[in-house]
Amino acid sequence: MKKYHVVVIGGGGTGAAIAYDLIKRGLHATVLDRGELTSGTTGRHHGQLHCGARYAVGDREIARECMEETNTLRKIASESLESNYGLFVALNDEDEDFAPTFIEACLESGIPAEKVPRKKALLMEPKLSHKIGTVVQVPDGTIDAWRLPLQFFAGAQKGGAVIRPFCPVTGIDIEDGRAVAVRIRDLVQQKDERIEADLIVNATGAWAPQITKFAGIDIPITPAPGTMVAVRKRLCNMVISHLHPSGDGDIIVPQRGLSIIGTTQYKTDDPDDIKVPREDVDFLYRCADEMVPEFSKQPFHAAWIAARPLAGKSESIEDGRGLSRDFVCVNHAQHDNVHGFMSVIGGKATVLRAMAEKTVDAVCQDLGVQEPCTTTETPLPSHREYYRKGAK
Amino acid sequence: MSAQERNFRILRGGGPSGLGAEFQSYSLELNEHATVLDALEWIRVEQAPDLMYRHSCHHGSCGTCGMMVNGKPKLACLTKVNDLAAGDIKLEPLLGMEHLGDLAVSPVPLMSAYPADSAYIRESEVNKDAERPAEVDRFERFENCIECGLCMAACPVEDEFQGPAVLAALNRELAKTPERRAEILHAAGRPDGVYRCERALECSRVCPTAVYPAKHIMELRKELEKESGAE
Repeated sequence: MKKYHVVVIGGGGTGAAIAYDLIKRGLHATVLDRGELTSGTTGRHHGQLHCGARYAVGDREIARECMEETNTLRKIASESLESNYGLFVALNDEDEDFAPTFIEACLESGIPAEKVPRKKALLMEPKLSHKIGTVVQVPDGTIDAWRLPLQFFAGAQKGGAVIRPFCPVTGIDIEDGRAVAVRIRDLVQQKDERIEADLIVNATGAWAPQITKFAGIDIPITPAPGTMVAVRKRLCNMVISHLHPSGDGDIIVPQRGLSIIGTTQYKTDDPDDIKVPREDVDFLYRCADEMVPEFSKQPFHAAWIAARPLAGKSESIEDGRGLSRDFVCVNHAQHDNVHGFMSVIGGKATVLRAMAEKTVDAVCQDLGVQEPCTTTETPLPSHREYYRKGAK
Repeated sequence: MSAQERNFRILRGGGPSGLGAEFQSYSLELNEHATVLDALEWIRVEQAPDLMYRHSCHHGSCGTCGMMVNGKPKLACLTKVNDLAAGDIKLEPLLGMEHLGDLAVSPVPLMSAYPADSAYIRESEVNKDAERPAEVDRFERFENCIECGLCMAACPVEDEFQGPAVLAALNRELAKTPERRAEILHAAGRPDGVYRCERALECSRVCPTAVYPAKHIMELRKELEKESGAE
């Protein structure tokens, strides 16, 4: 069988998981990133391992997938997860009205949501506000947003994938309606290069339109930046979420010695032109204090902003929240008459492996390769293996 | 406070390309909250699209953005420009790593020196006696060390030395897996181990996540002394 070569553009979580899946199915993979790995949206994630509870009311299928992937990641990448579960807390009457709907939706999505007596919740997390009402326990957790993708990169590299940070794409060669090569500038070697590919996967998230443009294709993506603030104290072990339909400032994620409150959401045109709006910091402090009153009293650690990639154009929607967080794999052969070229758009960090599975299913179908996905069972190598001497 | 103009002198070139390395100047207006990493992002977007530097999380958890800021090892994401002395700000690649060009380095020397099978998860020190969900055996968290290499860059020891980060990781491993005591102490007591430490304490001063590597080195020495006293 011919060993097909797939070039993955974008070294974020999605690109990492795609490269790993490709090599597991016997294909050859090259990953390119314009900068360091996970220097776009992936690394700036607030770090919530989403069991899906947050999505269950809106979309049972997405919630179910999050739950399955949470369990899978606990099996294959436990070193990059703090697996301490999470609590959803009601803060007002509206939340109380919402609680039964929330629990029902979780259970229907296969998420073992469990009402916890208020008193027990305060014993689990003593820093919680004493004004909380109904509390629901769910299997959330914390992701190390750098080391989880690095574990996938380590696995991919071990299987022969070539991973090239600091190699921005400068062009895509199209011959007879087929994408056949990627042109890059290797900034480390200071050389231009042309890399031939049997298929090209564009996994650049919020930057996807900048890549499809090289093939004359316009792709509907709305970059939706959101702010996060970290304070220098771990106030809780579990992820604390506001029990309400999703909104701004409703998640506190503990990580190492930090507590992180996220997030806000806007929409923008250029995912590179983002700055933390300072009013967000005060707003997020207020939201955090409602759940954990000591939050804003801790020393400030950092405020940062990341551009999520939302699938679709959002002219009519004010903040992009109405746009789907679902993930789409677009085969440009069907949509734009360019063969050998796909783009993956949307998606969430927790489901990186599942996004990769669907993408590589589509890649294999396109190339006529019949190999099943095998990325759910074997534990990934340690993140440090990616950088171990002789690993490349 | 209004925006202020600051000038950065950034080392460009070098690394495997064979390009000579030289400083280039970039000026930009920054607000009072801007970090060195914010400044690099805006310099890249507005003035130098091919500028290489490492970054990922932007909040001091990934450990990628270590660099020499005015000659001192710092995380760019946690260093406020306003906290730096007035005048030009000099940025160079982190010492002790493989230089890739500009401000980018590869952490291969650091990552290769870590004990291969050391666990990155430990028990959480917060609310240790708290109630837990039935499914959670113990509340856990990532290790404090973010493998940024600032301690290696700050360490004045010139001889072959495993270095503060690696020795701190060995001591953490000793605490977590006492059954591996003999093997861990053997590694710590090697000629390039704890006895190379000159107790300058620079590692503990620059550590952005309060690992205090010097304290771990002292603890390992004490454990080694116990062993030799027992013989």
